Amino acid sequence: MNQSTENRSNSNFQSSSLAKSKTDTQAKNEPESSFEKKLVSEITSKFGDNVKVSYIRPLRMKIIVNQEYIVEIATFIRDSLGFDHAESVAGTDYPKDNKIEVIYHLGSYSRDDLAGHILALATHTSRDDARLPTLMNVFKSVEYHERETFEMLGVYFEGHNRNERFLLPEDWADIPPLRKEFRIKGR
Amino acid sequence: MASTPEEFRFGNFVGSLIWLILIVLIIISLVGLPIIFVILFYVPLPPVNGEILTPYLFLSMMVDPTRTLPIIKFLIHTHLFKLVVFPGFTFAALLAAATIFIERKFLAKMQLRVGPLYVGKVEGILQLAADGLKLISKEIIIPSGSDKPIFWASPVAFVAAAAAVTALIPVAPGWVVANISVGLLAVFAILGFFPLIALLFSWASNSKYPFIGGLRALHQMIAFEIPFFLSALSVVILAGSLNLTDIAKAQHPFWFIFFLPISAFVFFISSLAELERVPFDLPEAESEIVAGWLTETSGMIYGLLQLGTYVKLYALAALFVVLFLGGWAGPQIFPQELIPGYTGEKIYNPVTVNAIFWFTVKTFGVIMLFLLPRGINPRIRIDILLHTGWYKLIVLSFINMFVALALIYGGVLGPGGLLTR
Amino acid sequence: MVVLAKSLEDRIDESQKLGLQVIKESEDDRLMTLNVGPQHPGSGHFRFTVKVDGDYIVYADPDPGYVHRGEEKMCEYRNFIQNIPHLERPVIHDSTNITYSYSLAVEELVGIQVPRRGQFIRAIASELNRQVYTLYWLAIYGIFLGHSTMFMWPTGDRELFIDLLEALTGARVTHAFNIPGGVRNDIPNGFKDRCLRQIAYFEKRLKEYEDIFYNNPLLRQRTEGVGILTKEDAIKLGVTGSVLRASGIPYDIRKAEPYDIYNEIDFKVQYMKTGDSFARSYVPFLDMRESCHIMRQLLDKMPESGEVRSKLQPNPKGAPGEAYRRVESGRGALGYYIISDGTPKAYRVKISVGSFRNMLALPYLLVGAKLGDMPSIYWSLNYWPVEADR
Repeated sequence: MNQSTENRSNSNFQSSSLAKSKTDTQAKNEPESSFEKKLVSEITSKFGDNVKVSYIRPLRMKIIVNQEYIVEIATFIRDSLGFDHAESVAGTDYPKDNKIEVIYHLGSYSRDDLAGHILALATHTSRDDARLPTLMNVFKSVEYHERETFEMLGVYFEGHNRNERFLLPEDWADIPPLRKEFRIKGR
Repeated sequence: MASTPEEFRFGNFVGSLIWLILIVLIIISLVGLPIIFVILFYVPLPPVNGEILTPYLFLSMMVDPTRTLPIIKFLIHTHLFKLVVFPGFTFAALLAAATIFIERKFLAKMQLRVGPLYVGKVEGILQLAADGLKLISKEIIIPSGSDKPIFWASPVAFVAAAAAVTALIPVAPGWVVANISVGLLAVFAILGFFPLIALLFSWASNSKYPFIGGLRALHQMIAFEIPFFLSALSVVILAGSLNLTDIAKAQHPFWFIFFLPISAFVFFISSLAELERVPFDLPEAESEIVAGWLTETSGMIYGLLQLGTYVKLYALAALFVVLFLGGWAGPQIFPQELIPGYTGEKIYNPVTVNAIFWFTVKTFGVIMLFLLPRGINPRIRIDILLHTGWYKLIVLSFINMFVALALIYGGVLGPGGLLTR
Repeated sequence: MVVLAKSLEDRIDESQKLGLQVIKESEDDRLMTLNVGPQHPGSGHFRFTVKVDGDYIVYADPDPGYVHRGEEKMCEYRNFIQNIPHLERPVIHDSTNITYSYSLAVEELVGIQVPRRGQFIRAIASELNRQVYTLYWLAIYGIFLGHSTMFMWPTGDRELFIDLLEALTGARVTHAFNIPGGVRNDIPNGFKDRCLRQIAYFEKRLKEYEDIFYNNPLLRQRTEGVGILTKEDAIKLGVTGSVLRASGIPYDIRKAEPYDIYNEIDFKVQYMKTGDSFARSYVPFLDMRESCHIMRQLLDKMPESGEVRSKLQPNPKGAPGEAYRRVESGRGALGYYIISDGTPKAYRVKISVGSFRNMLALPYLLVGAKLGDMPSIYWSLNYWPVEADR
């Protein structure tokens, strides 16, 4: 399942409205998503094999990094590329691969040419001992998102000041609800 | 056997009403009348208008109602009538009720609403009565851990203090409950009770939000009481008296508001703060401290506090009229005789009725001014409020005090002045 | 944190000299903990704990979750079309916008195009709904500051927009109007004239709002310079929408990443530089004014006839992959991150909402503010508790 995510071909997007709006706003003779490629190549040239590029589309990029390097790479992305805040932190449970993927959707307010771009920074952790280093010291804006990911998927963020209940009821005593083995009753 | 409701018949209904009236009449004639006669025979009664109340006089009153006029005249000059009915508590409470209704309709018109509409057919005129009934029928919840005697006593004390202020207000020449020589001082002394009552009540509630509200009330009233006194002081300088009747009479040709507009402004603003009305409703700030010091009130405790607030509103508006708008002064619009050619006992005094009319009209004008800021202003913050009270209003009230002194020493007003009559 | 008492030990020494019995007081005893919400009139379905030292707030901690419905989990159990009615529940006052980005993301996954007329109708519905939401927000902002007229007027004018939306979609609040592939139905007869009349009326009303509310000196005294969020802090905290624009960053998804028809529309991103409570409350107002301008253009440029919806297969399957699409809602960027595994149901849906992101600024702005500023700071953050909880 996860492989198919990464093998998503670019041709599917030629017809989508996203590609259309992209061609309208950017210079038309420019090759498709060359700016995005340049951005990602800056990361790959610095960190080499530690960064795996998942896809590059107009306005959207996704890289998958190993969790040991995530703080380092996030710092590089913030300082050198200008992505200064996280829009969301989404955790996805993959029971087949026994892993949880956590994606940081990073955006930029300070660079005008990056205004519409989203860099998805993904990392994996094991389902059995779900631990990740926190990015709170790099992006202050992930504080509540990581706290939510902790309670919804049970990913413990090392270094985060409050790995505790946030949205769920105070007496929640079940497994984290966004894990796939948690079933809604009656469904 | 299940009981079935009887079929309604109008004739039965009328019949039952007639039976009821008959029974009441029988009870009155068999029990009520003998008691009255026993009292009239054996209890010595005061002479009314030179005549002693006798059973014969009493019976003749039933035939000729004009003979009751002396008694009514005697009654309305007693202290009890003045205290209880007019110009005392009932008058004030009725005006307060009218104020609540007018406020609701007036605000509704400002805010493109309709306000009370259904109760009582005509523009929801009975809405207030319905609300009162609802409040009376509701349970009074006393918070656990509260100081019960103070919790019970505070609302009563609040209404009593508000009513005590109205007792000092002259409504017409001679129509004042307590005509004392230090009337204005007494008013301020009684007004000093309100923050104490608010603080006591909020402390007795044993809750955090009321406590913050009570402290806010205390801060606010202390900050605004000094400009309140000072703005009234310039009136006292011009009138040369602390008696409210004298002050009203002293403004005979020219009202004091023409000489002391700044004082009137300061007095108005301070009154708003005293009344905890928007924009000075900090002690009851809903979005910050729930309902302030009224948070734990319920049922008739809340009703009494609201009644006290509106009686106080009437009292301060009336005080404004007495101090700045010439009291009851106004052109004579009522005729000399109500029924032309009537020569009997006269209860109708055109001067007094005229005075009461103008006083009420002016008071309502000022009350409308008190109500207006609620529609156009937000609440202000406590530090701005304290700053306004201590720094701005006190200075402003001093300005007009110098004006008042200049008018006295320049020979314009005061004894033997140019504009004095 | 605000510095508390200078030294507790000193005071204890003083009382010991006087021979008094000493009850040791801790720093916490000085502070009063206030529980704002969920029963508090100034909170909504939300709770935050504040600790006050006198009149100053020294600690604030938000505690959302009172209306958490698990929308993201529910999305995994329903197919792409079934998700629409329940996805608009988190913010029913802005229900067109919250389904807008969902539709965009699903369209990207399914790979369909929206017809041109459908795109215009979507944008019109979105702008109308933005007005509805902002008016509701403004009404509550008014009553939070004790301005009752500002509660009644926007609530009344909001009704007119709701009537328009009812004519357009058939429902007053929860429209379920945006669906993947376009909109549910075409606009009714005479809708354009009615809409233009309403816009003309509303622009007159906006002037009156400004006169009675924003130009009121008491309001300005109360909100100017309160809860200042600097540009740097706004970027660092990652706030969005009007909160971000009030801090001097002209960022609007409609400009940054124009979706559907918005790249043909000429409008200015409204922003202010002060970053205080007043600016945060004024930017949505400016947005409403700009939104009237946008709606005029949309109605003007809309093609007279055409399809409003491209046909979808009954149970559309998304291509395996993922999509992240955003729109500008009443509260800022509203993004959907959808992972599809090739089945008619989504594998994972993540809703990135503006309220949740703006909530992070709440404790930062509240600490050091006065208790009286609490409602004006809290509600100026354009925070919708139900949306944040999802």
